[in-house]
Amino acid sequence: MKMLFKGSEAIAEAAIRAGCRLYFGYPITPQSELTEYMSRRLPEVGGTFLQAESEVATVNMMYGASCTGKRVMTSTSSPGFSLMMEGISYMAGGELPAVFVNVVRGGPGLGDIQPAQSDYFQATKGGGHGDYRMIVLAPHTIQEAVDLMNLAFDLADKYRMLVTILADGMLGQMMEPVEFPPMRDPNDVPEKDWALTGAKGRPPRKVTSFHIDPYELEKMNLRYQATYKKVEENEVRYEELNTDGADIIVAAYGTMARIVKTVIHMAEKEGIKVGLFRPITLWPFPYKRLNELADTVDTILTVEMSYGQMLEDVRLGVNGKAKTPFYGRSAGVVPTPTEVLDAVKKAIGR
Amino acid sequence: MNFKEFNARVFVYVGMFGSGKTELAINTAVELKKEEKNVALLDIDVISPYFRSRDKKDPLEEMGIKVISPPGALSHADLPIITAQVGGYISNESFFTIADVGGNEDGATVLGSLKPFLDRVNKKVFFVVNTLRPFSTTFDEIVRNVKKISAVSRTKIDYLINNTNIAQETTEENVKNGEELIKKVSEYLEIPVAFTVVNEEMDFQGEFPILKLKRYLAEQW
Repeated sequence: MKMLFKGSEAIAEAAIRAGCRLYFGYPITPQSELTEYMSRRLPEVGGTFLQAESEVATVNMMYGASCTGKRVMTSTSSPGFSLMMEGISYMAGGELPAVFVNVVRGGPGLGDIQPAQSDYFQATKGGGHGDYRMIVLAPHTIQEAVDLMNLAFDLADKYRMLVTILADGMLGQMMEPVEFPPMRDPNDVPEKDWALTGAKGRPPRKVTSFHIDPYELEKMNLRYQATYKKVEENEVRYEELNTDGADIIVAAYGTMARIVKTVIHMAEKEGIKVGLFRPITLWPFPYKRLNELADTVDTILTVEMSYGQMLEDVRLGVNGKAKTPFYGRSAGVVPTPTEVLDAVKKAIGR
Repeated sequence: MNFKEFNARVFVYVGMFGSGKTELAINTAVELKKEEKNVALLDIDVISPYFRSRDKKDPLEEMGIKVISPPGALSHADLPIITAQVGGYISNESFFTIADVGGNEDGATVLGSLKPFLDRVNKKVFFVVNTLRPFSTTFDEIVRNVKKISAVSRTKIDYLINNTNIAQETTEENVKNGEELIKKVSEYLEIPVAFTVVNEEMDFQGEFPILKLKRYLAEQW
């Protein structure tokens, strides 16, 4: 049965359905509803909600809880995500699975509380220190956010990696009808042969991102890199709409992609065929498919609620084979379909 | 829906978070404005950061509806601001006034602070229920919500509203199931149901009067 959910609430419920029973977090607009939902709902299903004293405390609670092999998550918005970066790097080094949700708002600094996509670099290119990667999933509807939560936890466990759901404030706050998958048994997850569970009757285990010997640390790093390579080979996800025979392809993710879907219809009335290329995994980015598409059109326009962040990955994918103009507004201003249509027309000289 | 039937000068909408109070408050203001000279909409929502009455201030003021909200840039602030004008528009006998209160008990606390104004005027308090929202799907949950919000807002609830919906995808069955559940709550709490809300294009006849809702807050995409 479909129900009416706010994006933040829906992500919370979907995480619970995916077997998450441990949530640590600190409220911040525009995703406090997620934290609040967890505080009400987790006790109902025998889970633990813990409001930390800060995002720094949150991420270290995540580290500790994840070591036990349980499914753990937190959610935050941009400034809070920045505060978590040190712990995220430590967790990546410890090869700990966990799910982070960043409902992005205007930045930099304190910014504002309106929607933005300006944490793309931070999510996909590090943010914390060291050679690490996070899988980054970008839903564009609330239903998709729900559907991606199961995947997020599964990928985290499968690769022992961090997964970030990168949403913007609009997705966090808007309401849509959603259908949830059935509840998964939190104990019905694959055995974790590395988890710290008490060492009774077996040798002790260790979770760490540290080694004082550079050759040993290099070995650890090469192991991380091998994992990332596997993820790049197997976990790229994207959606294509109307790209076949398009006059122009627009690359966009999240809320921006929704707006482009409206623009496709507006452009059609003016005789312009607009295709949409929507990365669902921002890391690993779908470079290969984009490179193929660049053979089919003259122009791939990137539109963002930021000032040209995903654009850099689009250009890496296109690799000079097509023109790659850009249109974006940020800082909490959401481009209107008309503005995007104007950018489309300008890009193809109409 | 003829809002005059409720014999009120001040309309107060309370309910759980995301139950549809703001859309209803805007619809009420627009409807009253068709016949009345002075209509004010009070945005006293201190909970929601987006999708508030104040976000539609310009189009509403073009219709001649006075929208009371935090001034200027403060309207985007993440702060619980209630302007002093709010009390004035509740008291002013020459205005029909609609109060759009924030969701849950935290939102309703604001109403409690306005008790000295509200107790002196002819007001009706409407509790909005969408039985397809989380924490409002069962008899027990709804009864508990009504009691809790009534307590913190320091006012009695005059009417329940059936606003059961899943936005554009709402079916007649959804609305009907909502009516059945809310009817039980209504009988138990002895609070009448004012009306059932349906989408503009829906042709539904149920147990209660019908309000056809026009949506003002959803984005064009």
